[in-house]
Amino acid sequence: MPRISELTEVDFNGVENPYVPPRELRISDKLKLHRNWSEDVDPVTYEVVRHNLWQINEEHGATIQRLSGSPVAMYALDLNPSILTEDAEFVYFGPYMQYMSGVTDTQVKWTLEFRSDNPGINEGDMFIANDPWVGAAHQQDVMLLCPVFWKGELFCWVTNCLHQYDIGGITPGSFCPSAESVYEEGILLPPLKIIENYEVRRDIEAVYLRASRKPDLVALDFRAQIAGNTTARERVLELIKRYGPEVVKGVMKRVVDNSEKAYLEKMSRLPDGEWYDRTYIEACRPGDRRTHRVVLGLRKEGNKLTFFNDGSAAQEGAMNATYSGWRGSIMVAANQLLCWDQYFAPGGALRHIDFDPTPGTLNCADFPASVSTAPIQSMEISLYPAYNVISKMIYPDQEMRRDIMCIGGTSQWPATIFRGIDQWGERYGYLLVDPIGGAIGAFSVADGINTGGQSRTPICQLPNIEHTEQSFPLLFLYRKELADSGGAGEYRGGLSAESCFIPHNTETVTQDTLSSGNAVPTSSGMMGGYPSATNAYTFVRNSDVFERLKSSTMPEDASEVKGDTVVLQLREENFEQHPSDVYAVRWTGGGGFGDPFERSVEDIEQDLDDYAVTAAAARDIYGAVVSNDGRVDALATAEKRGKIRRDRVNGGAPQAREGEIAFSATSGLDMRKDGAGRYWACNKCAADLGPANENYKDYCLREDNAVSSSNPLIGEPGAFIDDKAEFRQFFCRGCGTLIDNEIAVSTDPILFDLRPA
Amino acid sequence: MSSYLCGLDIGGTFTDCVLIDESGRLTIAKAPSTPPNFAAGVMTAIERAAVKIGLEVHDLLDAITVLAHGTTVGTNAIIQRRGAKVGLITTRGHNDVIHIMRGSRGLSGQDIKMIVHIPESSKPDPLVPKKLIRGVSERVDCFGKVVVELNEDEVRQAIIELRDAGCEALAICCLWSFLEPAHELRIKAIAAELAPDLYLTCSAELAPKWGEYERTTAVALNAYIGPTTVGYVTRLDQQLKEMGYKPPLQITQCAGGTITVRKAQQAPLLTLDSGPVSGVTGSVYLGQLMQHPNVITTDLGGTSFDVGVIHNGAPVVSYKSLVNQYEYFLPKVDVQTLGTGGGSKVWIDKTTKALRVGPDSAGASPGPVCYGNGGTVPTTTDADLVLGYLDPDNFAGGTMQLDRDAAVAALQLLADELEMDLFELASGVATIAEFQMADLIRKVTVQKGLDPRDFVVFAFGGAGPVHMGVAARELDVSKVIVPQGDTAAVWCAFGAASADILHVNEKVSIMSSPFDVGRVNGLLAELGELGRAHLAEDGVAADRHQFQFSIDMRHRGQINEVEVFLERGELDAEGLEGLRARFVERYEQLYGHGAALHGARLEMVTFRCRASATSMKPQLVAADSLSDVVAGDAQSGQRDIYWAESKRVETTPIYNGYKLVAGNAVDGPCVVETTTTSMVVHPGQRIEVDRLGNFVIDPAVA
Repeated sequence: MPRISELTEVDFNGVENPYVPPRELRISDKLKLHRNWSEDVDPVTYEVVRHNLWQINEEHGATIQRLSGSPVAMYALDLNPSILTEDAEFVYFGPYMQYMSGVTDTQVKWTLEFRSDNPGINEGDMFIANDPWVGAAHQQDVMLLCPVFWKGELFCWVTNCLHQYDIGGITPGSFCPSAESVYEEGILLPPLKIIENYEVRRDIEAVYLRASRKPDLVALDFRAQIAGNTTARERVLELIKRYGPEVVKGVMKRVVDNSEKAYLEKMSRLPDGEWYDRTYIEACRPGDRRTHRVVLGLRKEGNKLTFFNDGSAAQEGAMNATYSGWRGSIMVAANQLLCWDQYFAPGGALRHIDFDPTPGTLNCADFPASVSTAPIQSMEISLYPAYNVISKMIYPDQEMRRDIMCIGGTSQWPATIFRGIDQWGERYGYLLVDPIGGAIGAFSVADGINTGGQSRTPICQLPNIEHTEQSFPLLFLYRKELADSGGAGEYRGGLSAESCFIPHNTETVTQDTLSSGNAVPTSSGMMGGYPSATNAYTFVRNSDVFERLKSSTMPEDASEVKGDTVVLQLREENFEQHPSDVYAVRWTGGGGFGDPFERSVEDIEQDLDDYAVTAAAARDIYGAVVSNDGRVDALATAEKRGKIRRDRVNGGAPQAREGEIAFSATSGLDMRKDGAGRYWACNKCAADLGPANENYKDYCLREDNAVSSSNPLIGEPGAFIDDKAEFRQFFCRGCGTLIDNEIAVSTDPILFDLRPA
Repeated sequence: MSSYLCGLDIGGTFTDCVLIDESGRLTIAKAPSTPPNFAAGVMTAIERAAVKIGLEVHDLLDAITVLAHGTTVGTNAIIQRRGAKVGLITTRGHNDVIHIMRGSRGLSGQDIKMIVHIPESSKPDPLVPKKLIRGVSERVDCFGKVVVELNEDEVRQAIIELRDAGCEALAICCLWSFLEPAHELRIKAIAAELAPDLYLTCSAELAPKWGEYERTTAVALNAYIGPTTVGYVTRLDQQLKEMGYKPPLQITQCAGGTITVRKAQQAPLLTLDSGPVSGVTGSVYLGQLMQHPNVITTDLGGTSFDVGVIHNGAPVVSYKSLVNQYEYFLPKVDVQTLGTGGGSKVWIDKTTKALRVGPDSAGASPGPVCYGNGGTVPTTTDADLVLGYLDPDNFAGGTMQLDRDAAVAALQLLADELEMDLFELASGVATIAEFQMADLIRKVTVQKGLDPRDFVVFAFGGAGPVHMGVAARELDVSKVIVPQGDTAAVWCAFGAASADILHVNEKVSIMSSPFDVGRVNGLLAELGELGRAHLAEDGVAADRHQFQFSIDMRHRGQINEVEVFLERGELDAEGLEGLRARFVERYEQLYGHGAALHGARLEMVTFRCRASATSMKPQLVAADSLSDVVAGDAQSGQRDIYWAESKRVETTPIYNGYKLVAGNAVDGPCVVETTTTSMVVHPGQRIEVDRLGNFVIDPAVA
């Protein structure tokens, strides 16, 4: 299937096809852009104005949080404010929901192109928008775009995005797991002038609110969004009055230019090449037992990066994302790994990054695919592999290597969507937000962060259990971190957790599931690191939990209660949970980095003390020799690890080929060169692992096992999918050291992931 | 013989003892601090004060009616990570609450670099390792109903295991204990029996608030600093008693005001951060004397910039605090801190050639380049010196020689790199730092619905008066007041000596409108009783008791809570209606006009009673007359100073602050120096001395 860049006849205008902004925007002459700026703002004024712009954006976000007060805004921080130049380049976006950054500039660009003539973009206007083909992550993420004018010219944009409780569709909350198309989902709003000349258009507001099951809350959030934009607009205008429009614009342009410079400097230090990652989504609709392949490719040619998704599965059911959702996902990782030193100013880097997916695929879906689940499914599965491909690209540079981050927790979201009548007699509906506690994947120099949240919303906080129990008729038996949930490695992935609850003060709770990553692990490790636990639903019907409560012997794990264990499928709808039905939800942890045999004995002992790793995993995966009292014998461990490696090679070791090291490609693999050319070599023993233009894995010793061997918390995929999943390991044929792992559906070929230019 | 108020302030280097007699006269004595046994230094300081007023120590202690003291032992234990080995007992299944930290890294509102660059920002070391946490079977639900009885066998086993593991303190926090504390109290009783040597603390007594993470953190922190703090205050109290001091020793607390030794032993957490809070407490009183009900207090030191806000004569408070990325519940005077100060490092972003100031600090050691202690990275202080704001030969009262050449050399390198003039660069550094300060002030006022233009700024700390004039001009604040002489000295000890005895009691009961007046009044009465009992325990006569009641309310279905104050501790139907109006008014003040959802159902969440007893207040002596004649010798000299306003170096008069008298006024540009600070008065600004001897800078003379 052709990529966007190959479809020269297609108009990517955000209607049938996703909107892909052209390099040159087609803006009506009616709209005058402010295009004068000072090139030589002195460094002090620059810093003062820059700091002010950052503060304006921060105050913008704080205003929305304070005014909205909704649990979505306050806990999940599912919002983000931005400042963009007049032609929609990012100056700053906020530290909240990172996905929203990537879908902001496209919406502003579309508005410039398609609204500047009719109805016109004027002072005092704001546009509401949530159309994923124009540029929203999904319909619930409603944006409000505010042009800022100075003396009749469009000076810049301030915008915000805020996730709404409910904007319609067949499922309360507007995540619609069984939708087959966008017509069954929430209201779709291509950018629409809802505020005209400083006045809310009541007729348009009414249309917007009419779709929602919670119009009062949506109305309140709408006011919060207006206040956020108004605050930011007023402060930008104050800044212009104080320093003059040319200076303020000059600073904006330089923020973008500086971020570009920083990006270019980094690119100059890295070799060119292509990097790939592959993962899978399970179950695109109720009853589906297939896996849907997701491939991410990254090509670097000089300064230019191109992301593409060749080989990804076709759009289907209710698992999809649009172009802008996919792009937004990748931008999250690119921003954190490549532009973190520019503090949320990625505009300059974007000048050199192309997004070139294949339309009709699950993460670049054409209209009218269902996309309401995008942020917890297709976008998440698009985001995390981006950490892997970018990490592989930057590994050769010793300094940038420190910024590497493995795939984090909740790499697919195990949703628990429930509703009913609460303990106060009122109707409610909710999506359990606990998985947002996530985990941070391992770094190349340190362990990941246990329940460190999701990197895509870096400052959000879970509600306390006492808050959840106050609002919903539930009693939590536990919320706990899980030993072994983090992927093994020289540096361990962060642990994830599990929440377990029963209905309380109600007769029943009506439940839906919506998940993926329960069969095939989605938090794979990197460069020899192992995957984390998978997602898991545990449901024990008619359990003896009441006897446990009555006898004051509370279970600490769902496996301790007796009852009928039910395997919940990944898109099960409208099943009832009664008070004796125990329901536990586990989410994925962080992937590990590097060969677990390289993990120090001290770190393993600490893991045992901290209940981060079980003794069994320490023995089986880390190759440690553990005594009964939890101590690790250093000598015996070294011996055991050595023997296992020698056994892998089984005597026949090839000679080292001592060429010069061109660069280190991964923690276990170097690119070397000698008179005969460039070739892959083991980082430990310098064994030749094949020519540079071939897949080094073809020259490694390979061992395939069930995915359950990669992590003690991974079960049999057969319960959810018909495909067979494998944990493939690739060892150096010289010394038996683990070079890398991959997780694959058995019919897929070996991934050819490192392709230096 | 006169009676005395005595304030004790223990710093890292010196312990100050301030005596105030009935006429308001001050006596100040200093003694070296004596860590780790601070009591010795305190006793020496009191002895020296006694000598100064010609009394025997015993007689002085006899004449002191209130001895108030702020301690930092708890804060130090946390900074140095030398607290007790703590065990934690909690509801079974919820052991990991303080490890999960609500799935965050505790970085909300923190340095943006930490947020975006995840490899730099792990979670903090756990307060209690998992090995020392035990869950016991028990459960209370959201109605406060016991769903699972407490399993006392498990409790016993847990206590014995933790005791045998060497724990020195035991923290207890169960789910929903703020509604039904029976299980926690029972666990505490069993622990007292099985492990009598352990320091015990339970959340229902310390922080009975809604939210198990912040409550557990509070109780774990309390246990962590418990044994050390108890040891310290007990020892000090004992020694003072032995020397003849009879009334209860008062310890300053973070809610403003003081508590007794007994309370400090139960809730040492209340003493955390009480130092900066005392500054705000002192400012409340100063503001009152100077008739400024709205004050922004600022304290700029070497490594930090603290800002507190006083609105309508009362300090702005918060109910959630942060230490080491750990969030906990405790009513506290809100002091916001920015890691910027005289030691903030100046640097250039290599790739983008942008000039940056902070957030990294050179700290006290090595400190700025000009200190000559090995610092090589220029700081704000170095820029101040280069600009001429500071006198290298007369810094800190001449106790320290500054190396201007070194500062010039260090900044010149940066100036060359940016192709800027040296002075332009140094002045830029000052401006950037000043704007950062203005931003923080803006944040703590505007984001709380307050307008900085309605405030005056108090500038404390050595570096504050150097920069606050510009920051204030930026904010359109009318006055910057630099408390001087007696006032400033009193301010330090005021935190302690002018503080009222204060007990803040809180009770959470979540109820929705229409409200049950009987239930509301029942809760208020219960809190009032508790406060009355606490004050009685402190030996305060009933006629001095004061009570202030408030309720935290919100829209049902929303998170933001607003504290609504009541006129008295009882409501009738009319009062209830008035409450809704007050909620709307307060809500819209905070969140903007039209923000409140009229007609929406309301919820009451936290009920609160501040029970206090006003202490004897020091008096300040105002000058009888004002003089506009500046003495001829007040100008101590002149110096070349670079002014950003004129973009050039000007020969600028320098004044000796001690030679300026009440009523004197001098126009900028000038610098007024004292032994502790330099007041930089820019062109277009003016400085004058008020009746109390304070310096008042007018940031923008009309």
